[in-house]
Amino acid sequence: MAQAGPSPLLSSPGNGGTRFDPRGLLLPGVLLAVAELLALLYVPADSFSLAAPHQIAVELGRLLIDGTLLIASLETLGSAIAGLALGGSVGLILGVAFGLSPTLDRLMSLSVEALRPIPPAALIPLSLLVFGFGFSMEIAITAFTCTWPVLVLTRAAIGETEPGLMEVARVLRISFWRRATRIVLPGAVARIFVAFRLAAAISLIVAVTVEVVANPRGLGYGMMIATQSLHPAISFAFLAWIAIVGWAFNLALVQLERWFFNPAGRA
Amino acid sequence: MNASVLAARTVEPGAAAPAIRFANVSLSFGDRLILDDISLDIARGEFVSIVGPSGCGKTTLLRLVAGLAHHSAGAVLLDGVPVTQPRQDVAVVFQDYAKALLPWRTAAGNIALALEAMGVPKPEWADRIAALLDMMGLGKDADKLPRQMSGGMQQRLQIARCLAQSPSVLLMDEPFGALDAITRQVLQDEVLAIAARQKVTVFFVTHDLEEAIYLGDRVVGLLANPGRIAKSFKVDLPYPRDQLTSREDPQFLAMRHDLFSFIKHG
Amino acid sequence: MRAATQLFWFLGSLAVAAGFVAAWQAICALGLVSPIFLPPPDAVWGALVAGFATGDTLANLAATVARVFGGWLLASAVGASVGALIGVSRRARIYIAPSLEFLRPLPVSALVPIFIGILGFSEQMVLTVIAFGALWPVLLGTVHGFSAVEPRLYEVASTLRMSRLAVIGKIALPSALPDILAGMRVGLTVSLILVVVAEILGSREGLGYAILLAQRAYRSADLFAGIALLGLIGYLTALALNRLEARLIHWR
Repeated sequence: MAQAGPSPLLSSPGNGGTRFDPRGLLLPGVLLAVAELLALLYVPADSFSLAAPHQIAVELGRLLIDGTLLIASLETLGSAIAGLALGGSVGLILGVAFGLSPTLDRLMSLSVEALRPIPPAALIPLSLLVFGFGFSMEIAITAFTCTWPVLVLTRAAIGETEPGLMEVARVLRISFWRRATRIVLPGAVARIFVAFRLAAAISLIVAVTVEVVANPRGLGYGMMIATQSLHPAISFAFLAWIAIVGWAFNLALVQLERWFFNPAGRA
Repeated sequence: MNASVLAARTVEPGAAAPAIRFANVSLSFGDRLILDDISLDIARGEFVSIVGPSGCGKTTLLRLVAGLAHHSAGAVLLDGVPVTQPRQDVAVVFQDYAKALLPWRTAAGNIALALEAMGVPKPEWADRIAALLDMMGLGKDADKLPRQMSGGMQQRLQIARCLAQSPSVLLMDEPFGALDAITRQVLQDEVLAIAARQKVTVFFVTHDLEEAIYLGDRVVGLLANPGRIAKSFKVDLPYPRDQLTSREDPQFLAMRHDLFSFIKHG
Repeated sequence: MRAATQLFWFLGSLAVAAGFVAAWQAICALGLVSPIFLPPPDAVWGALVAGFATGDTLANLAATVARVFGGWLLASAVGASVGALIGVSRRARIYIAPSLEFLRPLPVSALVPIFIGILGFSEQMVLTVIAFGALWPVLLGTVHGFSAVEPRLYEVASTLRMSRLAVIGKIALPSALPDILAGMRVGLTVSLILVVVAEILGSREGLGYAILLAQRAYRSADLFAGIALLGLIGYLTALALNRLEARLIHWR
């Protein structure tokens, strides 16, 4: 699964800055040109499985203009965000609880470790059974998948609260609730945000996965339909758009994090 | 360390070409002049301390000899041969010892790295490594990882690895700057002992003026902006040097006074 | 933690998990949820046992596991090699890294329809999908690992006049190993997801296809049994990788 990383093209590896390096465009440009050439030479215009870049570009434009991609994007992103909110909330609550109470954490560890490794795709048939086709089944699976990274990272963030602060709290006999909200949470907020950023990237991946496999909604479904109806140019256009959406979504999350936590000088 | 080991040092008289020669060396970075017309000869077996304030280019000078930096004008010569790239008989001891050691290899393994690079036949390794570790007081730590060793031990290990290169020139870049005062003094004496025994030429960069005088046959003082040699004098203190008596020697105090006011007022 | 205390807590968490299973059984016995959605634990266990008895489950399990490992190992080998070449060369990184970073957030499942279009619903497709999907995390992790080698170590190598091969093998590779393994760990997770996706879409025998069939026939006990097995594979492979990592990166 992809990890949410720094924004491409806007930062060169090895420096924390945001400089647009046009050399990064060279490789994709060359690859596109080569693909176009190969397609013109070897791929017939009515091929069932491949398409030339210019055909893809045309389809991409058409689908953007007639709103198909927009609607599909909203469906996918909607499911992803809903799942993130639901699963993230559960993961956050559990993560805070487990982080604050090592006893609870240890007692629940087996149960968590038993559920965590289940591949989200394995839940698709179950979700179909329970919810049938539609947004609910997709949101359910996305929520389940997002719960775990948020739980694990939140728990870790809580656990790494400055021990000195906790000692002070105990000496002053600050209540459990106040300890949680006034001392532990503020310190952990930045890392919890990172956890959500990671889970957000995962949520998009899971949403597309569910759509590709089963759910007749969103970008993944659009792609599958195009493939099955033997329209490779449309299929690739969806792929390109999914890549763009994924990149933009990630970029938005990174910027959001920076905007929230800039005073702390986070790179 | 055994006092008898700190024997009298001799600088070979009348050696042909100087071991290290800077001939009108300048180095610019962009439009900034880092080093300005540096000329300096260092004889074979000589222990030269290079001192100066931050930014005077003393580390840059060291890196020029090491082959890790390149000058803009003039010539840098090792045994009369221009330096274009690093040489295996020139060993460099870096200040950040933790970063200069391989964290995944034991002490013995780190020394082995140098032996591997030198092409030393494998059957000889065990003896050589043991000898070097013993020499640096790490005889019992052969199987320890760097993270299991103190700062002083790690720096000793780096020195041991450098000695594994059987170097003719030892370049030391503020090697004791990150260590506590007591460890520093112990290692200073160890370096003196090594220099005496191995007969290496030592190029010792430091910002500690007393350390420079204590260790060196000669002290070269640099000023900053741009880096230039502004002072150079012989240290006439007797060998073997001693942390207590040498530092109380009236000559030591005079040189110290001289050097301090030079650095302060330029 | 001492072994006795560890055992104590393990038994405690086991008891809690058993409690959840008991609650599950009770919910089913009370008829609170339709057995189509939530089969009782004993039915799931029965389905597991029966499946192994007939040998079907074993065959499916073997097929799925073989695909996961085959694809993941291939992807790791290729990803680590290519990643090493890119990561070591600063120039390569400048030209290639931006494209890699752009592709990083791409949901790998989106490529499945493309592969189906080109390779059809064949075994080749399944393996290609898995290998391709697992390739990216390993590649990205490797590139990062090789690009983050402590520069001082390169200087040490330079003063020792180490050959380029020696630098890569003795300095860059051990330094990058934690990142490579982290990438391989993610690659394994991706492989598990994609094997199910490919098996479901491609109707290829395996656990993924088995749970699809179970769902269509409303055999929820078989469905849950299949999910449990897939979860078990995930758990065991992660455990094995952890052990491997602990041994390889003992120096951390």
